[in-house]
Amino acid sequence: MPAPTDEELVRKSKEGDERAFGELISRYESKVYSLALKMVRNPEDAEDVLQDTFLRAYRGIKSFQGASTFSTWIYRITANSALMRLRKKQLPTVSIEDADERETPVNIADWTPGPVEQLLNRELQQVMDEAIGALPPEFRQVFVLRDIEEMSNAEVADILDLSVAAVKSRLHRARLKVRNRIAGYFSENAKPKRVMGAH
Amino acid sequence: MLTCKEVLDSISDYLDADMKADLVAEMRKHIGFCSDCRAEFDTLTMTIKLYKHENDAKPQVMPVGCHDRLVKVIEIEKLRLKGGEPPKMV
Repeated sequence: MPAPTDEELVRKSKEGDERAFGELISRYESKVYSLALKMVRNPEDAEDVLQDTFLRAYRGIKSFQGASTFSTWIYRITANSALMRLRKKQLPTVSIEDADERETPVNIADWTPGPVEQLLNRELQQVMDEAIGALPPEFRQVFVLRDIEEMSNAEVADILDLSVAAVKSRLHRARLKVRNRIAGYFSENAKPKRVMGAH
Repeated sequence: MLTCKEVLDSISDYLDADMKADLVAEMRKHIGFCSDCRAEFDTLTMTIKLYKHENDAKPQVMPVGCHDRLVKVIEIEKLRLKGGEPPKMV
């Protein structure tokens, strides 16, 4: 017997079938947790977002109209919940309106040739982590969904309830910001340390 | 002929192959001879690759007990909506 579709599980959940909602949880909890973790970057907060997301879904399933797919709906709730949490915890940094000042790095060191694996040391990973952490939450959402989750602009727009143009604009600014941080790291460290052959 | 500003404004769309073919050709041509714009393109491309690679290298699995705690939270909510006594969280 084929597994029920999301639509069937949603229909049954609306009728009060608790097992159907349980199946939706099993189907989406890992994806929701993973997305939440990428946005809030902390396992405790990610679990809070996970619980908040499914609580809201449970309360709202009867009013879910099916205009979008269940996956889009649940990711939208996840993104909103993560955004609320980030805003609550956000340190007083730049607002989204002020966030595009000096997007161009002063000096771009030559750090692009060579395989990714050779560049990616622990220090750089920390710089990359800090770069994402320093993004305004609204930029971080778009960067995570688009460049890490590899969703399309249209999907991201649907999830975040933005126009495609707004997604593109935020994505571009987010990319420049994280790139500038990484470029800063390479400028300070002159050239990336290459892994040399063992002697 | 595109100016550097036009190239930089559209560089994300170019990266995402989200533009018309004739404009792609113009962008490619400009990036081919302009070292500043090429550096912009190369560093943005590498930034995305680095994040993707780092992300793929560390799978985000749910912590032990996370599923059970989630199910418990939903059960408490079910009881709350029905007006019952919620079970204690362990």
